[in-house]
Amino acid sequence: MKPFAIVAALALAGPALAEQAVVAPPEAGSVSRADGLAAWDRVYEVVSHPRCANCHVGPDNIPMWSGPSYGTARKHGMNINAGESRMGAEYVPCAACHVQRAQEDLADNGPNEPPQVALAWQLAPVEFQWFGKTSAEICAQMADPERTGGRDWVALAEHLAEDAHHGGFVAWGWNPGGGREPAPYDLQRHIDDVLAWGAAGTPCAD
Amino acid sequence: MRLIVNGQEAEVDVEGDMPLLWVLRDELGLTGTKYGCGIAQCGACTVHMDGLAVRSCQVPASAAEGAEVTTIEGLGTPEALHAVQKAWIDEQVAQCGYCQAGQIMQAAWLLDMSPDPTEAEIDRVMSGNLCRCGTYPRIRAAIRAASAAMKEA
Amino acid sequence: MGRARTITRRSLLVGATAIAGGVAFGAYVVRRPPANPLAAGLGPGAATFNPWVRIDGETITLITPHADIGQGATHMQALLIAEEMDLEPGQFVTGFGPPAAAYYNTAMADEVGAGISATTPVPPAYASAAAGTIMKVLGFQGTGGSSSTPDSFVKLREAGAMARETLKAAAAVETGVPVADLRTEAGQVILPDGTAIPYTGLAARAGQIAPVEGTPLRDPALWRYIGKPTQRLDIVAKSTGTQLYGIDFTAEGMLHAAVRTSPRRGRLISYDASAAEGMRGVVAIVEVTDGVAVIADNTWRAFRALDAIRFDWGPADYPAEQSEHWDIVARAFSDGPLNAVWRNDGASEERLASGEVVEAEFRAPYVAHQPLEPLTAVVRVNEDSTDVWTATQIPRFLQSVVGGVTGHASDDVRVHNLYAGGSFGHRLEAAQVRIAAEIANRRRGVPVQLTYSREEDFAQDFPRHIAMARARGKVADGRVTALDISVAAAPIMSSQAGRLGYAVNGPDAQMAAGIWNAPYALPDFRVRAFEARGLAPVSSWRSVGASCGGFFLETFLDELIHAAGADPVAERLRLIDDPVARRVLETAADMAGWGRAPAPGRGFGVALVESFGVPVAEIVEVAATGSGIRIENVWVVADPGTVIDPVNIENHVQGAVVWGLGHAMNSEITYSDGMAQQTNYHDAEGMRLHQCPEIHVRVLEDNPVLRGIGEPPVPPAAPALANAIFALTGTRLREMPFSRHVQFV
Repeated sequence: MKPFAIVAALALAGPALAEQAVVAPPEAGSVSRADGLAAWDRVYEVVSHPRCANCHVGPDNIPMWSGPSYGTARKHGMNINAGESRMGAEYVPCAACHVQRAQEDLADNGPNEPPQVALAWQLAPVEFQWFGKTSAEICAQMADPERTGGRDWVALAEHLAEDAHHGGFVAWGWNPGGGREPAPYDLQRHIDDVLAWGAAGTPCAD
Repeated sequence: MRLIVNGQEAEVDVEGDMPLLWVLRDELGLTGTKYGCGIAQCGACTVHMDGLAVRSCQVPASAAEGAEVTTIEGLGTPEALHAVQKAWIDEQVAQCGYCQAGQIMQAAWLLDMSPDPTEAEIDRVMSGNLCRCGTYPRIRAAIRAASAAMKEA
Repeated sequence: MGRARTITRRSLLVGATAIAGGVAFGAYVVRRPPANPLAAGLGPGAATFNPWVRIDGETITLITPHADIGQGATHMQALLIAEEMDLEPGQFVTGFGPPAAAYYNTAMADEVGAGISATTPVPPAYASAAAGTIMKVLGFQGTGGSSSTPDSFVKLREAGAMARETLKAAAAVETGVPVADLRTEAGQVILPDGTAIPYTGLAARAGQIAPVEGTPLRDPALWRYIGKPTQRLDIVAKSTGTQLYGIDFTAEGMLHAAVRTSPRRGRLISYDASAAEGMRGVVAIVEVTDGVAVIADNTWRAFRALDAIRFDWGPADYPAEQSEHWDIVARAFSDGPLNAVWRNDGASEERLASGEVVEAEFRAPYVAHQPLEPLTAVVRVNEDSTDVWTATQIPRFLQSVVGGVTGHASDDVRVHNLYAGGSFGHRLEAAQVRIAAEIANRRRGVPVQLTYSREEDFAQDFPRHIAMARARGKVADGRVTALDISVAAAPIMSSQAGRLGYAVNGPDAQMAAGIWNAPYALPDFRVRAFEARGLAPVSSWRSVGASCGGFFLETFLDELIHAAGADPVAERLRLIDDPVARRVLETAADMAGWGRAPAPGRGFGVALVESFGVPVAEIVEVAATGSGIRIENVWVVADPGTVIDPVNIENHVQGAVVWGLGHAMNSEITYSDGMAQQTNYHDAEGMRLHQCPEIHVRVLEDNPVLRGIGEPPVPPAAPALANAIFALTGTRLREMPFSRHVQFV
């Protein structure tokens, strides 16, 4: 099935507004291992939260519906599959229902409606599978630039800020609307924790 | 706000977050596109926007501005049927018929993307379209019939 | 059934009174035919021979009064008239006609009659006749109970024959050619010399002569349409987005309204609409019974403004929590009241008092209807009349309901029926139309369309009744020998009929339907129904009582057969005491290749349920996959007596199977804090396309009585699936939805 090119073209459209998080990396080595591990625990709380993990799924390419508003965890309904493209290009594009909105038009998604952001809705890359993974497994992945698309801990933090700056998924995770439970802490705290973890040498618990 | 619906320009004065579904139905009087759930769980509101089958209940009017929108009325008429509509008639798919405009729009898009779809592809692409009357066996048969007819054309 | 019967005039009246709530009538009233509603306003040059045909110089109109909710009722009715009247498709238009006593439905009487007959000394034929007579006298016009085809089959063909013969008589007057030398074809009267006079050309003359009555109906061997594949009249419109449904109706100057009424079916204590008042497009915010409506210039604006209103709702008068509902049902077995003993062959209580007894308890939850088109009504309150445009199955009831709001006499409330986007029992209610009238009454002279949001529709759905069964049985020597089933349920008929203004007391034939009328003969077989009172209001849901009863009986019977070590099909065949049901089950077993060992990871299950006079057998094949149970095949055989439309009936049977399976898999309504917890389709979606099996249909025509088909294929689906899952996994499912215990793909 030929990939759906227009969906890709819609990515990153829209003017940049709103969320301006600060990325201020501490000097490498300036954070203790203990503090770094504590920061990682908080990072794990965020990335394993349903608002993030539901789309950080593995190679079956099926988003999850999990969290307090769903009751039990289940696979996305309606036989939806995001395919290897991770954005449904092979079947139904995510954007067919998770319609991309201009950033200035972002609004509260009603409960049970498909959330919408200012980027083309899609799953995270398969390397970033977090759903069902342990803290140690995710830590190992995030600490390895070969498994983060070449990004080190500073670039990861900058990526978070950039996504939020464009009204994307990261911003949504803390402002999901419709009575959905937001990810814990907030964007700035999360970025600071990623940076602290990085500055501590990206430690993972033994 | 300028919309292009079924090849015609339409000027509407609505708030940017009014769903395209209700612009079509209440502002433009195009009632072929149906309201079933409002949360993208039933597919009755499916239209084509810039070539992609989307749930018009989820498209804010602002996102449709300037886009080419095709509704069931624009896909084909009783006098000039689209191949998918002809297959739907030949196979006598409809019972109550309320979901069928959305089914047809979704199927037409599927066949555009994949003219000879496998059963798995049909299952993946069509399962967002709910039919409470249970015409699924005939929907499958009509997609296969349309695929065959379109290949010959 | 081997019971001595004493028919007394009193028992006939008692039975009849049970339906009518005490209406007395004389013989003259019964015999007099109702007035032809088409006669009023018939201008010169037009004719109407009977309530189903109207003709003028340009147009032939066939009145097809039964609601079309997707079952093809309009096509079926038109076909029957056209068959006798010698019309071709395209030569006529159809209309639902006005609500009228002339469109009384006697076929629904059969279900009522069967119920009376089972619990009184009155035999079925008398009971049905009594019930039918009352329906005629009361002008009971309704669509439902799989009765449209039985109700129409003779009546509408007679109407067509009458029209045809009257047109010939008119031609005879016009031409001097004797009637015997005239024939008809394709909408024309043909003279011996080949001259063809279109029917429309004879309208004026036909209007001046008396309709020709008493014409015998055509020999079925001459049928051109009945029993043959035809293209349904509505299929092109429904495939091109040009079919008008209730929700699509528009009128000049129409406003759009949305409503929220108490999700606890209680009172509105207070509300704060301050945030909604200034919203764009809002015309007015009005109170309605137990709720508030927003009138706006656009449906979505009305929905959105409604979302901005804060409500304080009073409590429900049924229990707030679902578990308490089940408690009430369970208590009914011991505390009653007993609604009826529906069957008591032999002495099952004695038989099951000792020895090895198989016992089980079953549950069937509340389930919502939720057809894809939400409830709507357009009402315009005029000075001396009211117009209502809505998709309804009870048009005459709506006249009095709306008249009660607007102050107009029923005859001054014009109900214009429209095509429905599904119903499944949902459109047998009047609440949404009453509320629309209340809203429109605040804007007299303006048409106001009320559209229920999906959430409001879910909240206000009167669900399928909740029920439990306690079953006890015995087996011996490889046979099932005794069966005693008690059903405890919310009484459906009194809940639903009560909302239409009828007090229905006495036995509720639906409570144990599918069980007491099962075509099985056992030495000891008892069926009782107990009323569980104080539950949420309930209504008819496609196949009504049998949707639970079929599951209870056929799953328990499967348990007994398993305990007996017998074959599920063979033992059922041994128990069957009716040749029509036997043929149905044999055919299904044959189609499915029953008896062959299932492939690895597969299992077969069977069920046979008779409802609305139609036995249906289903065999389901399931497969275990990595991501859950998949239904692979269903073989379904039904015998409705005569097939009118072979193309439609296959679609209809398949759809009923999908309906039964889907809801058994994953749908229920549960109450918490007095409100339904399920708010939209994600909570109760039924079956999706990717879950749909191949459904192989065969329809037999051995049933000596012509019946409908809309509901009968629903009840066997759930038990056949449960029995297949047992064969596959060894897990016995005794409650629906099955997703509580197993995972489906």
